[in-house]
Amino acid sequence: MAKRIAIVEDDPDQRANYRDAITKKGYDVAAYASREEALIGIEREMPDLAILDIILGDEVDAGFQLCRDLLVRAPTLPVIFLTERIGEIDKISGLRLGAWDYLPKPISLDYLAERISSLLRINEVRSATSAKESTTARRVGDLSLDQEALLVSWKNQPINLSGTEFRMLAKLVRVPGHAVSYETLMNATMQSLVTNNTINTHMRNIRKKFEKVDADFACIKSEYGYGYRWSVQ
Amino acid sequence: MKIGNRIRGPRLGTKLMLWGLVLLIVPWISYRQLIGMERLLIQGQSQAQLLTAEGISTLFNGREDLFNDLPVRIEDYESLYARPLQNPIRIDGKESDWEPDTNKFIKFGADAEYNLTDGGFKILLGERGGQLYAFMRIKDDALVYRNPEYLRLDNADSVRLNFIQDDGEDGRVVITFTGPGVTTAYRVGPEWKLAVTGVPENQVQGHIERTATGIDVEFRMPLTMLGSRKFFGLSYVDVDDGATRAVRAITQTLPSAGKSSFNLVVLRSPEVLNIIQGLGYSGARILVIDAQNRVRAETGSFTMSEDREAVDPGWASTARRWFDVIRPVVHRLVMWQRWDDVDLSEDSATVVNKVIESSLRGNPIALRCRVNDQEIIMAAHPIVSRDAILGGVVVEQNIADILAFQRAALEQVIVLSLVSLLVVFVVLIAFAGRLAWRIRQLRREASAAIDPRGRLRSNALHSAMNAGDEIGDLARSVSGMLAKLQQHNQFLENMPRTLRHEINNPLNTLSTSLQNLAEEHPEVRDSKYLDSAKRGVMRIGAIVQNLADAANLEESLEAEELEIVDLERLIDNYVANCRVVHRDCEFAFRGAGHPVYARVSDYRIEQLLDKIIDNAIDFHRPNSPIKVQLDQLKDFLRITVANRGPTLPPAAEETLFDSMVSHRGAEARNRLHFGLGLYVVRVIAEHHGGTVRGMNLPDGSGVVVIVQLPLASLVAPPARTNGEASTTS
Repeated sequence: MAKRIAIVEDDPDQRANYRDAITKKGYDVAAYASREEALIGIEREMPDLAILDIILGDEVDAGFQLCRDLLVRAPTLPVIFLTERIGEIDKISGLRLGAWDYLPKPISLDYLAERISSLLRINEVRSATSAKESTTARRVGDLSLDQEALLVSWKNQPINLSGTEFRMLAKLVRVPGHAVSYETLMNATMQSLVTNNTINTHMRNIRKKFEKVDADFACIKSEYGYGYRWSVQ
Repeated sequence: MKIGNRIRGPRLGTKLMLWGLVLLIVPWISYRQLIGMERLLIQGQSQAQLLTAEGISTLFNGREDLFNDLPVRIEDYESLYARPLQNPIRIDGKESDWEPDTNKFIKFGADAEYNLTDGGFKILLGERGGQLYAFMRIKDDALVYRNPEYLRLDNADSVRLNFIQDDGEDGRVVITFTGPGVTTAYRVGPEWKLAVTGVPENQVQGHIERTATGIDVEFRMPLTMLGSRKFFGLSYVDVDDGATRAVRAITQTLPSAGKSSFNLVVLRSPEVLNIIQGLGYSGARILVIDAQNRVRAETGSFTMSEDREAVDPGWASTARRWFDVIRPVVHRLVMWQRWDDVDLSEDSATVVNKVIESSLRGNPIALRCRVNDQEIIMAAHPIVSRDAILGGVVVEQNIADILAFQRAALEQVIVLSLVSLLVVFVVLIAFAGRLAWRIRQLRREASAAIDPRGRLRSNALHSAMNAGDEIGDLARSVSGMLAKLQQHNQFLENMPRTLRHEINNPLNTLSTSLQNLAEEHPEVRDSKYLDSAKRGVMRIGAIVQNLADAANLEESLEAEELEIVDLERLIDNYVANCRVVHRDCEFAFRGAGHPVYARVSDYRIEQLLDKIIDNAIDFHRPNSPIKVQLDQLKDFLRITVANRGPTLPPAAEETLFDSMVSHRGAEARNRLHFGLGLYVVRVIAEHHGGTVRGMNLPDGSGVVVIVQLPLASLVAPPARTNGEASTTS
C-alpha cells in the first residue's frame, strides 16, 4: 500500500508541482491549500508524512500551528517544513517543534523525493528497532553513525541531528582526519542554494549538539578558507 | 564656495546683542530733546529777563532828573568815578583786594611821558556799602612823616580831602601819618594848617605802606560825609625837607582852569537804587547804568548760595563729578559738537560790553555768558527819554536752576538708559543663550539621530518637542521627517527580505515546473534551453539570497557568539588553504610571529577574509603575489591585504565600503557583483569594534585593504580554540 503524504501549500502552482512529482514516485498524495482544509483532511485520514509550508494565506505561522496539531495526534509523524522562510529563527523554531527536516525553497524535487523516502524508511527502522541495538552503525572513535536509521550517538549518548546535519556529519567522518571542502559539504546538503555561511551555521549547530552531551567535544575543526575536518581525539 | 564656508555670520547671541544696540537711540533722542528743552528754557529765561529789564526801564523812562541829578552838566567836571566794588576791601595799604580794577588807575601829576613825577600819584576809587574807598600810589622821593609834636598839619607829607558837606559847607580833612601803618585824619580850617578840633576824624580810616618809590595810601570814608552832590577833591602835599618842613608841591585832582573847583564823585544814585531795590529777586542782579556806562544803581546778586552743594552727601558729589566728566563725551556723541560751544566762547567782559553797548544804542539784547564758573544770562534794555537814551537796565540772572534741572534730568536719562540697556542686554543675552542652547540641543540630537554612515539611530527627537514656538515646530518637523525617513528606511531594509520572500515562491514554482517538465518530457532533458532556464533560476535565487544575506548581516551578527581566537593561527591556516583552493594565485603571508588574540567570531573573520581575498584575486596583476600581513600594534591588530593591479579612482576610497557601491569596471558586470562584498567586510569589522579602509599603495602599483581590530584583553582566559591549526593534509 502506498504511503500517504500530506502536502499543505497555499500556492496552487507549487502544490500541483509537488503533487505531480511525488505522485509519480508512487505515493498517495493529499494536497491542502489552508490550515482548516488540512485539519479536516487529517481528521479523516492520518498521513504517514507531512510536508508543510509555514505561511498559508494570511496566516504567517499556520505551518507551525499545524505541526503542533499533527504531533499531538501522532508524535512519531515525520514532518518536513518546506518554506520560503529561511531565517535562522524560523528554522530553529521549526526544528524545535519536532519537525524532522527544514527545507528552504527553491527545492529540488528529486531531493524532496529522496528526503521523503529516507524519512519514511527511518521512521520504519526506528519503530521496528526502537528496542534493540542498531547493527548498521558505523563507529569512528566515540562516534556511532547509523546510516539507515539516521541515528547518531557520541560516547553512547544519542544525538538528535536533522537530516541535513546527519548528511554533513557523514561526509565529514568518511575519512577521519582529512579536510572536507565547503563544496563537498554543500553537495551533502543536497540543496540547490548553499553558501559557506549556511555550512558554517550547520556545523556550529552540529558542534553545539555534541557539546550538549560532552562539554569537551572538539573533533570538528575549522579549516579556514577551505572547509572542515574531523580530527580523531 | 570655500570662502563662503569660512566666513560665516555672527552667532545668534552676537546678532541679538548688536540689534540690542538699537536701544541706544532712546538716550540719544532723550538727550537731543533735553538739549532742545534747555534751549527753550534759556530762551524763555532770556525773554523773561528782557521783559523784566524792559519793565524796569519803563520806570526810568523820561526820568532825566534821576540821571541828571547833578547841578550842572556832567561834562563840566573832571569826574572821579567811584566804581562799585565787588569785593570787600581791607584797609591795609595793599593793592591786592582791588582786583580786578587795578588797571583803572587815574594818574595825577604825571609828566609828558605819562610817568609820575615826584609828588605825583595815581588813584583808584571805589564804593561799597555806603563807604567811599580810595587807593593812592604816591611817588615821593623823600618822605617826611609828621612829627606829633607839631600842631601844624601842613609841615609833613599828607593827603588833603575837600568836599561839600550835606549842609552845603566846605569840608576839609587832612590824612596824616607818622610812619607806615594806621593814619590819622583831622578836620582842618580853611588854611589847612590846624585841626578844627583836637579829636581826629575817626570816620576817615587809612593805612600807609612803604613802597620802593614812595608810599601807598589806602583809606575810606562814609559817603554820607560828602552830602548829596558828591563834590569831592583830593590832593597830596609833598614835603621833602625834613628840616625846613616846607611844602614843596601839592598835586591835586582838582581841575585846571575853567572847571569847577571840585571834582564830581560819580556814584550810584540812591534814588535809582530806591526804585529798583524792591525789584531784586534771588539769583538775579539788576543794574542801572547811565549813558556814560556808569553804574547808577545795583541790587541783588546772581551768585547762588553754595550751601546747597555743601549739604549734598558724598556720593552725590561723586556722581556729579563723574557726570561732569562724561557729559562732554555724551554731548559730543549725540550732538556732534563740542560741549563748550554753547555761546560761551567769548569771555564775560566782552559779553558785558556787548550787552551794554547794544542797550545804550537802543537795542534790547539778551546774551549768555559765564562768570566765575556760573552761567548767567544778561538782558539789557535801554532807558529812553523822548529821543535820547538815558541809560540802560541790565538784568543778570543765574541760570544754575535751569542747568541743575537739566543736569538732573540728564543724569536721570543717562542712568535710566544705562540701566535699561543693561537689563535689556542681560535679558537678550539670556534669551539668546537659551535660544542658542535649544537650537544646539536640537542640532545635536538631530545629527545624533543619524550615524556617520547615514543610518537612522532614532526615529524621534525628545528635546523641544513640546515647545510652542518655532523651535518646537522645527523639532516636530524634524522628528516627523525622521519618522518618515525611518519608515522609508525600514521599507528599504526589509525590501531584500520581502523580495526574497516574494521571489522564492514563484522561483520555486519555476524550478519545480522545470523539473516536472524534464520528468514528463525526457526528450527536453538535455535541451540547452532547459539548462539555461535552470541557470537563470539559480542566478535569480543567488541574487536574492545575497541581497537578503547582506540585509540580514547586522542582525545575524548580533546573534553571533564571540570567542577569543588566535588570529595568527587563523590567518596562517586561511592563507595556507587559499594556496590550495586558488592554485593560479600566489599568496604571501607575514604574521606577527606570535599569537595575536582577538575577541571575534572566527566564521565571520573567515567571511571577511573571503571577501577581501576575492576582491584582491579579481584585481591582482597575474603573477604578482597577494600579500597578507598581520601586525600587532599597541592596542589593536592590523590585517593588511595588498595586491598589485589597477588603483582605486580618487573618490572611491570613501565609498568603497558602502552598500551597493561597486568600483568594478563595466566588463565585470556580468558577474554577480552588487558591491556587497566590501560592504560585508566593513559591517563585520565594525561589528567587532574595528575599522576598515582601502587605499592605493604609496607607489601607485596597487591597492591595499587594511582592517584594524581591537586586541582581546589578555587577562581574559583564552577560550578553547576550534580552529586548531594544522595544514591541510
